[in-house]
Amino acid sequence: MSTIEISHLRKTYGPYAAVDDLSLGVDSGTVFGLLGPNGAGKTTTFKCMLGLARATAGSVTYDGKPLVPQTFERIAYVPERSVLYEWMTVAEHVEMNRRAFTKFDAARAGELLTAFQIDPRKKARALSKGMRTAVMVAVAFARNADLLILDEPTSGLDPVNQRHVLSLMINEAARGCTIIFSSHQIGQVERAAEQIAVIDKGRLVLKGAVDDLKADRKIVEGILPDANAALNGIADDPRILRADRAERIVRLLVNRDADGVATLLGSAGAAGVRVVDLNLEDIFLYAVSPADATADVVAKETAR
Amino acid sequence: MPAVLTVDPRSGVPIYLQIIEQVKRSVALGVLQAGEQLPTVKQLALDLTVNPNTVARAYRELERDSVIETSPGRGSFVRGNGVATSARAAASDVARDVLNAALREVKSVGLTRGDVRELVDAALDRWFPEEQ
Repeated sequence: MSTIEISHLRKTYGPYAAVDDLSLGVDSGTVFGLLGPNGAGKTTTFKCMLGLARATAGSVTYDGKPLVPQTFERIAYVPERSVLYEWMTVAEHVEMNRRAFTKFDAARAGELLTAFQIDPRKKARALSKGMRTAVMVAVAFARNADLLILDEPTSGLDPVNQRHVLSLMINEAARGCTIIFSSHQIGQVERAAEQIAVIDKGRLVLKGAVDDLKADRKIVEGILPDANAALNGIADDPRILRADRAERIVRLLVNRDADGVATLLGSAGAAGVRVVDLNLEDIFLYAVSPADATADVVAKETAR
Repeated sequence: MPAVLTVDPRSGVPIYLQIIEQVKRSVALGVLQAGEQLPTVKQLALDLTVNPNTVARAYRELERDSVIETSPGRGSFVRGNGVATSARAAASDVARDVLNAALREVKSVGLTRGDVRELVDAALDRWFPEEQ
C-alpha cells in the first residue's frame, strides 16, 4: 500500500511555474481530492508524480522510495485527455493492458465496459469524449492497483455514469486502495473524498479533511450599529481568516470556534449575529478568490 | 436496516455528523429497534455514495455514544439497553442546538435575561399545558 509524499515539488515551463513549492502527503487507504481552478497545476502535479513530466525541483516518493518502473504495476492512471490509440478497438486496448500488467483482470474490464454500455468492437476514433473517459476508467479499475490517480475521471460522462464512477471509487476505497483524484464537480469530491487539497497558481492554499473543514469553517455574520463602528481587535483574532465588510454588515470567515467568535462580535455591538455553515464549494471559493475589492476587507488567509 | 438514511453532501454539515444524527433520530423514533443490524460500512458507503472512512467514523462515534455495538465478524447492531438513554440524549442534543441558536439571536437584538424568561415561560405554557 502506498503512502505518497510530495515534497517541495516545483515544475516550471520557461518563466512560468505550473507547480510552485507544493508539499502534500497522502496516507495509505485514503481518497484524496485535488481541487483547483483551471490551470492551477493539478494535471502537472499528477504528471510529475508519475514521471511523465520531469520536476524542476522537489521530490515524490512512494513508501519513502522514488518512483521506479516496478511501481507502475501498483499504480493505475486515468489521464485528463484521451490516450487511446485511435486505430485500435476497445477490446484491443483491454488486451494490451492484460499483457502489460500481471494483476489485470480482463473479465472485470469486460463487465465495466458493459456497465458503461460500450461496445468493445468499436475503434477508439468512433468513441465520444465521455465514452473515451469510460474506457480509460474501465481499464484502470480492472488493474487491481493499490493506487489510483484519476485526473477528471468523470469528464464528459452523463450523470448516471458519473455516479457509476463514484461508486467504483468507493468500492476500491473500501478494499483499501489509495485514490487521488481531481474534479471540477465539487459535489463528487464532497462525497468521495476524505481529504482534500486546494491548489491555486501552482501553490497549496488549503488542505484538510472534508468533514473537519466543514465542521470548523463557518461564516459569522452580524450588523454593526453604524457604518463607522470600529471592529476593535476582531480582525486580528487568530480564529478569523478573513473579514468582509460592506456598510454595516460584517462577515467573518473563521477557522474554528464560530460560537466564540459570534459572542465576540455580539459584544462588539453587532446585532443579528448568526453562524452560517459552508459547504465544500463555498470553502473552495473562499480559498481561491481574492478578497472582494469593493468591500472594506481584511484578507488574512495564506497557505497553511 | 430500512432505507431511512439519506445524506446531503452539499450541506455544510459534515457527512459523518449527518449519519450520526439520522441513526440517533431513527433510534429515538423507533425506526431502528434494539438488536437491529446496521449495514456494513462498505454497504452503507455504497448505498449513500460516500467515502467508506466517513461511514466508519460515524459508526465509531455511535459506538462511543453507546448507540450501537460492533462485534468483529458479525457486524454492527443497535444496542439493547442503550436505546432508551440514547434516544433521550439524541433529543436533548437537537434541542440544545436549537435553543442556543435562538438565544444567540435573541441576545443580539438586545433582549434581557428577564425578557427571555417571560418568552420561554409563555412558550412552555403553550407546548406543555399539562405540566403547568
